[in-house]
Amino acid sequence: MTISRAEAAQALSDIDTTTGRSRTFGAYRVTGPILMLWGVIWALGYTGMGLWPVERWGVVWGVLDVVGVALTILLARRRSGTAAATAASSVAAWRGLATALVIMLFLGASFAIFQPTDQNAYMTFPVVLAGFIYAGIGIQRMPRLIWIGAAMAGIALIGFYAFQPILPFWLAVVGGGGLLAGGLWLRSA
Amino acid sequence: MAELNEMIHQPLRLKIMAALWAERSGGAVEFARLKKVSGATDGNLGSHLTVLEKAGYVEIEKDFVGKRPRTRIAVTPAGGKAYRGHVEYLRQVVEGLDR
Repeated sequence: MTISRAEAAQALSDIDTTTGRSRTFGAYRVTGPILMLWGVIWALGYTGMGLWPVERWGVVWGVLDVVGVALTILLARRRSGTAAATAASSVAAWRGLATALVIMLFLGASFAIFQPTDQNAYMTFPVVLAGFIYAGIGIQRMPRLIWIGAAMAGIALIGFYAFQPILPFWLAVVGGGGLLAGGLWLRSA
Repeated sequence: MAELNEMIHQPLRLKIMAALWAERSGGAVEFARLKKVSGATDGNLGSHLTVLEKAGYVEIEKDFVGKRPRTRIAVTPAGGKAYRGHVEYLRQVVEGLDR
């Protein structure tokens, strides 16, 4: 039996499509628990911002970020199978950490330039930024992240314009809960 | 010159092998996930997996997680070799090197 060039091209295209779907589902499986972890961290962090004065916010987020990054690296390694996959996941985790540091530097630079005096703007901007970053990653690699990112940014903006008196708790419950739900959605893929 | 592998060339079996090959570094793949990736129904996927298992191209493990039954599938070394050979054949046909 022989096949035509068109049939062979179609078969190769099917292989590419299946391989891409497989990688996307694999990425969802790794990303889901990490997103859930950050949902909890965000909930704790914004609850802290609601309960404590602004002078303590840096300490709260400093501790939570260190714990979050350490657990993220552990989760990324745990989800791998073989030694080669674990090594690849470690590299990906460190790249993710470097990317997170770049984003934090961007946030710091933005605050230094614009010097927001409104604490609500200070609280909301990182969530909106994270939402758009998730949506961008979603467009590139993981379509479900488009919806999660859009929901995050939308929830933060609704809170900023409609629920300012309870904004930190809004971001803790709705934003953190949204990330948790998004993580569950990814994990179920 | 690589050769056509008729066992793998069947469309669903090709998708199954492509998915298992892409996932090989992460270990065995759960049946439910393979079903999502391949877009197959339970019965269809099960019957084609049986064909591939009989050919020695995949290994199927069945166990329990708590009380929930779990089926996991992995590509065997023979399956990997056959899949790579078939992909090579397809490339040669597309590039016109098979004549």
